[in-house]
Amino acid sequence: MSGQSHKHGPAAGLLQCLDEIAAQVILGTGAGEGCDVAGALAKLATQAGQAGYGEAAEIAASLHARSEQQSDAGTRERVLVEGLARLQAVLRGEPSPAAAQPQTPPAAPINPIAQDPELIGDFVMESREHLASIETQLLTLEQNPTDSEAMHAAFRGFHTIKGLAGFLELNTIREVAHQVETVLDQARNGELAITPAVIDVVLQSGDFLKASVAIVEEALGSGSPAVFGDPTALLASVLGLTTVQSPSAQPAATAPKPPGPVAAASPPADTTPAVEPPAARAAKQTTATDNLKVRVDAAKLDYLMDMVGEMVIAQSMIRHHPALTAQQDSRLNGCIAQLSRITGEVQRTAMALRMIPIGQLFQRTARVVRDLARKHGKLVDLETSGEDTELDKSIAEELSDPLMHMVRNAVDHGIEHPADREKAGKEPTSRLRLAAYHQAGMIVVEVADDGRGLDRAKILKKARERGLVDANAHLSESEVCSLIFEPGFSTAEKVTDVSGRGVGMDVVRKQIQKLRGRVDIVTRPGHGTTFYMRMPLTLAIIDGLAVSVGSQNYIVPIFSVREMFRPQAGQISTVQGRDEMALVRDRLLPVVRLHKRFAVEPRYANPYDALLIVAEAEGRPFCLMVDELIGKQEVVIKSLGETFRGVPGIAGGAILGDGKVGLILDIAGLRGGSAG
Amino acid sequence: MPPKGNKMESTLLERDQAASVKTDERAGKYLVFQLASEEFGIRVLKVREIMGVQDITAVPQTPSYVKGVINLRGKVIPVVDLRLKFGLPQAEYTQRTCIIVVQVQGEAGPMLMGIVVDGVAEVANLAAADIEDTPAFTTSGEKSYLLGMAKVKGKVKILLDIDQALGNQELHSLEGLPGIR
Repeated sequence: MSGQSHKHGPAAGLLQCLDEIAAQVILGTGAGEGCDVAGALAKLATQAGQAGYGEAAEIAASLHARSEQQSDAGTRERVLVEGLARLQAVLRGEPSPAAAQPQTPPAAPINPIAQDPELIGDFVMESREHLASIETQLLTLEQNPTDSEAMHAAFRGFHTIKGLAGFLELNTIREVAHQVETVLDQARNGELAITPAVIDVVLQSGDFLKASVAIVEEALGSGSPAVFGDPTALLASVLGLTTVQSPSAQPAATAPKPPGPVAAASPPADTTPAVEPPAARAAKQTTATDNLKVRVDAAKLDYLMDMVGEMVIAQSMIRHHPALTAQQDSRLNGCIAQLSRITGEVQRTAMALRMIPIGQLFQRTARVVRDLARKHGKLVDLETSGEDTELDKSIAEELSDPLMHMVRNAVDHGIEHPADREKAGKEPTSRLRLAAYHQAGMIVVEVADDGRGLDRAKILKKARERGLVDANAHLSESEVCSLIFEPGFSTAEKVTDVSGRGVGMDVVRKQIQKLRGRVDIVTRPGHGTTFYMRMPLTLAIIDGLAVSVGSQNYIVPIFSVREMFRPQAGQISTVQGRDEMALVRDRLLPVVRLHKRFAVEPRYANPYDALLIVAEAEGRPFCLMVDELIGKQEVVIKSLGETFRGVPGIAGGAILGDGKVGLILDIAGLRGGSAG
Repeated sequence: MPPKGNKMESTLLERDQAASVKTDERAGKYLVFQLASEEFGIRVLKVREIMGVQDITAVPQTPSYVKGVINLRGKVIPVVDLRLKFGLPQAEYTQRTCIIVVQVQGEAGPMLMGIVVDGVAEVANLAAADIEDTPAFTTSGEKSYLLGMAKVKGKVKILLDIDQALGNQELHSLEGLPGIR
């Protein structure tokens, strides 16, 4: 490490440089233009590295990364001042506590994960975000290699990860991030042309880092040291990029940055801001808005939701309390009305906390589309709209896989090769459109391609081969389309590694149905296919019909109710002396007596006194016999927990308006059991 | 209070493990409650709260000792009638009847559960000297949910291992169903 002997060498220059920065920070001249300090720090890091002060370079780099993330000026200044003091100590050759630390345990198998789990946790989360944004930037960059903003953003992402990883002694991650950063640095100085090959390697590095971050997270959970993959091959290909292309091969080059002329005393502010002020400013703005977000533990959020639900119930109980409804005090009435308004608002806000924009999902598909299109030699233009459309986080998570699959399907099956497209008189570049919007209280996600469309004849032929439909059956357009959702169905002539194995579309439909949504297909042969996925905005609330059987109340989810009626004489017939069927609109539907199924004492054992609800599960309708309808209400769904997991006929619990628990019926479970 | 990590749980687990080696690990504070003519004790650290009997929503197709579910401040938790669970005769719920909310170790981690008891007596501080091992009533390999017996002022209190008594079992087990008529 830096010993006393360095005191009068290049260290003096570095120290002076450091003083300049410190002066800027402390005097507050840098506060307005943070990029000065940041730039100077970056420069200092490079110089220290060149001068052989490895440790000082690392500290400077990580300090740079940390200071860029702080939007709050006060915190930033504190971080900087502390960091600069440490740097000074290192450069003077004084052993600082932080500097001494890595020396005491031998550099070999220390487990940095165990040292500071909280910092590591932050690192995992931050790196993930950076990697996600890097991917987006790289894809933008591939479309438009001269987009300097995307370039800078990607560079900054890797740079920050490098700094953080270095700080936490995650050397594999630091090394990969460092090499990629070098490549991107050359690219942004115009010394390296951005080609798809370059993007490929950089994306691969991103993937490697993603995997490494996952390893870190796992290690954090298990407490064992992180064992990273071998980056040698990757590093070689990254290094290959920088060496193969000679600087002369540069394309429309922006003015190459002068190689750091900061000899010793010249204030670094001279050079850095002159090269990149607009981009740096833009970046500062984005980080500022990012930092306005607060990360909250999901359990706390759930707790808040529980409490808000209880508050709404308590509020409504107060409001409808006989003692209050009888009184005539207008001021008290005003207060109660105000309380109702506020509770309603609080409830809406609490619900909105769980909502996230769907744009993040769309971003993830961009990478899949790019990789697939490149692999299959197809030209695909991905368009997205409605990225700001919000939906519940848990739905977004569940939607990710089906969406990914549909996008893959569209690129693999729907979209033709450029040559085929030209033959068909279409543009060689196809358009894949992802759109999201709200409609009638649901969120609709569209995946539309302008490819060849679904081949009705082929689907029918395949379905007949598999015995899914009768040879003579006459099927409507939509019935044919929905055949592709049958398990094991695939019309792809050859199985590729992406699709064609027939697993997939049925899983997509199942997943969407699990979210209480549905998938529709609209297809025009030769013009493309559009998939519409419709889902509720949240899984937390459903509209339900409260019904009573004997002394018990149950909730029937309204989306599975078709109609209800009191049966008329002769409408119900008995089959083989035990099963009952009801004639509803010229169809015979099985009758399920809820009181029998749940073994409760009903008020009406005679079906002609009772109420029949025509419910539908998995496309098969049946009649559910209950005593009375209480009313329609919106209920908050609660899990019954592991204790009651899989009680047949019960989907979950709900807190009712009076604070009691109601049970939500599982219509599919009730229907399934009626077959026997 | 907002949910916190289950630090308490882990210390308890450590204690449970240690209990097999050293008997004095069983010493400590117990919540004593009545069930029929007996007094039972459960570790105070397992108890989350005590409430009066409220409306319980019955869950169909569950054993008779599962009374159903209640709303505990926005969370739906199961309630078990400990009399029925232990094969004691059923009793009318009175003013003294309580639901003790306990935290038990389920398959997927700690969970809250309510137990209906005849009444809560006291919180007793039991010394190691008061606690004796349970006499072996059964020779079967059935894992016991008794921690031991405590003798205080001539009265015997049965110490329950509530995790063994309630956790790790699915309450809707099809055996013992009231039967589908």
